[in-house]
Amino acid sequence: MASKQQEPGAGADQSNGTGGDGAAIIAVQDLVKVYGGGHGPGRQEPVRALAGLGFSVKAGEFFGFLGPNGSGKTTSIRIITTLLAKTSGTVRVAGYDLEREPEAIRRVIGYTGQSIGVDGELTGRENLTLLGRLYHLPAATVKTRVEEVLTVLDLTEAANRPAYTYSGGMRRRLDLGSGLLHYPRILFLDEPTTGLDPQTRNAVWEYLRHLHKEQDMTIFLTTQYMEEADQLCQRLAIIDKGQIVAEGTPAQLKAEIGADVITVRIPRDAAFENARDRALALVRGIPTVKRAAVFDEGISVHAENGGATLLDIVRMMDAENLPIHHVALSHPSLDEVFLQHTGRAMRVEEVKPMSRMPFNRRRR
Amino acid sequence: MAAQTHMATQAQPPRLVAPEGVSAASGSMFAEILWVAGRSLRKLTRNPMVLFFSLMTPVIWLVLFSQMFAKLFAQGASGGVALPYDYVAVMLPGVATMTTIQSASQSGFGMVADIESGFMDKFFVSPIRRSSVLSGKLLADGLRMAAQATLILLIAFFFKLVAGWRIPFATGILGAALLVVLTAAFGVAFSGLSNAVALRTKNTEATMMVSFSLTFPLLFLSTAMLPKGLLPGWVQAFSAVNPVSYLADASRDLILTGYDWAEVGSAAVAIVILGAILNGFAVSAFRAQGK
Repeated sequence: MASKQQEPGAGADQSNGTGGDGAAIIAVQDLVKVYGGGHGPGRQEPVRALAGLGFSVKAGEFFGFLGPNGSGKTTSIRIITTLLAKTSGTVRVAGYDLEREPEAIRRVIGYTGQSIGVDGELTGRENLTLLGRLYHLPAATVKTRVEEVLTVLDLTEAANRPAYTYSGGMRRRLDLGSGLLHYPRILFLDEPTTGLDPQTRNAVWEYLRHLHKEQDMTIFLTTQYMEEADQLCQRLAIIDKGQIVAEGTPAQLKAEIGADVITVRIPRDAAFENARDRALALVRGIPTVKRAAVFDEGISVHAENGGATLLDIVRMMDAENLPIHHVALSHPSLDEVFLQHTGRAMRVEEVKPMSRMPFNRRRR
Repeated sequence: MAAQTHMATQAQPPRLVAPEGVSAASGSMFAEILWVAGRSLRKLTRNPMVLFFSLMTPVIWLVLFSQMFAKLFAQGASGGVALPYDYVAVMLPGVATMTTIQSASQSGFGMVADIESGFMDKFFVSPIRRSSVLSGKLLADGLRMAAQATLILLIAFFFKLVAGWRIPFATGILGAALLVVLTAAFGVAFSGLSNAVALRTKNTEATMMVSFSLTFPLLFLSTAMLPKGLLPGWVQAFSAVNPVSYLADASRDLILTGYDWAEVGSAAVAIVILGAILNGFAVSAFRAQGK
């Protein structure tokens, strides 16, 4: 189905923060990435990972990309951080053109990738010192800075141990630290908390909030967690199938829904589609219902006065002998926003840390 | 929002503010290469066992095979006339060559590991020249191979002293140093293959297969283990175009007879040609990263 759902009066405010805004520190236009399609044996069909992405981020903003696996988050962030070549489009970071001045961009950005790029055989301090030197900072500055970063990330005690002895959370923190050594103006984080336990996740969130607040750092984060986007991002873009389907502050996005959300799941048997269509027709006849749409497990209904409407729906469906598997009433969350814009519920595919170790290629 | 309240109660970590006038800048390529090489060498010191075991094979060859084949060689080479040196002296440069080829074959492993761990991204997202990443790695590899060749010569010299092995070392320390440089340079040249395969496949097994399947044919279809005159005709034909032979011939003269600048010159040319081709592949594979 089309990635961008057209619904008059309910679409995201696409112009928000974009356009000729002079303060844009990241400006992306018509970004396209097509993978593969080369020649020779073993080449796959070309895959269009980014289908004309456009957005901008203001200086000092905490901006996020929210989307499921394979939606193009990592591809976007790798292109913007100069790690991956784009197929077409224009990208400007901190006023520099990606194509002509990638080196200037590299000097002002910090990057923390999805896989934790830490050398396990080196100690935490050695990892940071090496990466600090790569920015051609004076040796004395690197030394002071490494100690600062170790302190901020609470790694001073473990600093002289090889990084392979670190816990997952410590490694993630060290990785985060390696992107901060050169006082970057913009920090890019690709799924910084995927695979972390809730406690460590909270700790990472606090560090990020601290960096953003205390340093006026612009932060660009990708995530597949609704909660993370909601908690951290001042503004976010929902990305699906290589396109931005909605953009705004978390509050704006949720306000768009403007009503309680009732989700009715229908048993997925042979009669599923028929039952779903009939339920949809019924529900649309209820006066309090503002919008109703099908999704892959049933129907999703936006209504004022959700409690009463829910009862109406159940009664009506029961009278028509339509089966109900599960009913839920909720206030709008980013889940509903995603559902509304893509017609699918967003599922998080939890990736076990092990599966990202040597034998697998990195996900894109 | 509860988490934010919680944070406010925590002790504030120091502010991270850039000191006046400090900003990341570009700088000397030489320094970049040294940092990258320094990291590889430091990793090596973290695994002394790896370094130790990488010398086990050459020592076994020197101690075991040189003794086993000594008599055969003496008869074959001279028709019964006593030679002024042992077979081990003939084989010594070959063993140094073998060790360096093996090290060069494994050169790509580190590359694959860095790509998989995401460490390579740290290099690529920093402002250093991409070429410094490859050059730094080659420098570290070259130094490691030089150290290995030196150790092999020292072990042989040790046996000459304590066990009476007849190895002439005809050109003394300077010649030995030249042998070490040639051997390490050959290793750096040959490692281009392993790095190219590693960068193209990003797969350790593939890198291992390609390198290991080439090591022994290259070695035995050359003059590394036996002088040309003792090789069968078809092997002689192949060994003439095998770059390993040029290194082996030059090295052997340095040990057995003395400086033969024509041999050393041909070896240098062979190394430069091999290095230009194989490292050309590696550079192009390296440039293709992130495409």
